[in-house]
Amino acid sequence: MATSVATNPSTLLPLELVDKCIGSRIHIVMKNDKEIVGTLLGFDDFVNMLLEDVTEYESTPEGRRVTKLDQILLNGNNITMLVPGGEMPGE
Amino acid sequence: MSRKEALTQFIQQIHGRPVVVKLNSGVDYRGVMACIDGYMNIALEQTEEYINGELKNKFGDSFIRGNNVLYISTQKRKGV
Amino acid sequence: MVTKMPEGETEPVSLVTIKEPVDLIRLSVDERIYVKMRHDRELRGRLHAFDQHLNMVLGEAEETITTIEVDEETFEEVYKTTKRTIPMLFVRGDGVILVSPPSTTS
Repeated sequence: MATSVATNPSTLLPLELVDKCIGSRIHIVMKNDKEIVGTLLGFDDFVNMLLEDVTEYESTPEGRRVTKLDQILLNGNNITMLVPGGEMPGE
Repeated sequence: MSRKEALTQFIQQIHGRPVVVKLNSGVDYRGVMACIDGYMNIALEQTEEYINGELKNKFGDSFIRGNNVLYISTQKRKGV
Repeated sequence: MVTKMPEGETEPVSLVTIKEPVDLIRLSVDERIYVKMRHDRELRGRLHAFDQHLNMVLGEAEETITTIEVDEETFEEVYKTTKRTIPMLFVRGDGVILVSPPSTTS
């Protein structure tokens, strides 16, 4: 049956995984080697995300820069990976 | 599903509030949010441009093209 | 420009005109504007026309290009700006970072 994949209850669509992360911590890896950790409040069809209690990690020539932010609307355009429940590895 | 309303609500709430807009290039714009559209194009008032954390420019009004935007942040805490 | 108005109160004209960010550009037609472009380019010129992509036609435009040159002996980074004027210029929207009406630019 053509619909067997979609109806298989054990199959989790990628965005369903993101949906399960709402309300919990999430670790986001951006295209330009930036990484962001925060509590996911919501997201839209483009995976633009609303995040709370955010820490931003940037690698600069002077070393790693860490910025704390209250609430951000993150543009989904430059997201590479999402790691559920993640604090920054190596913290 | 997906709590899109949370984003819609955030966008409605930030009108007239001080925000930091960070671009992919790392440049920060601080100002008062005038309006925003679906492309994340942004109109800011009392805009200050920070490059490497240094104030480089001031604009009364400014339009930022959405494709350059990394995030829009409400300004309760300051950068460390 | 944006202030919270009590319900039922009529908004002054200046508040009505900017409903979406592109209105700021719309209000700048025939004005001299400042445009920050990718690759460290800046433009100042009179805005003749624009479209939804932010493609623009600028008249009497001055282009400023900033480059970093490293001094071969001291390895110091020196910022160099080159300027040129262009009577009429088409700007492709995808290179645009920021647009500001110069009356409000310091």
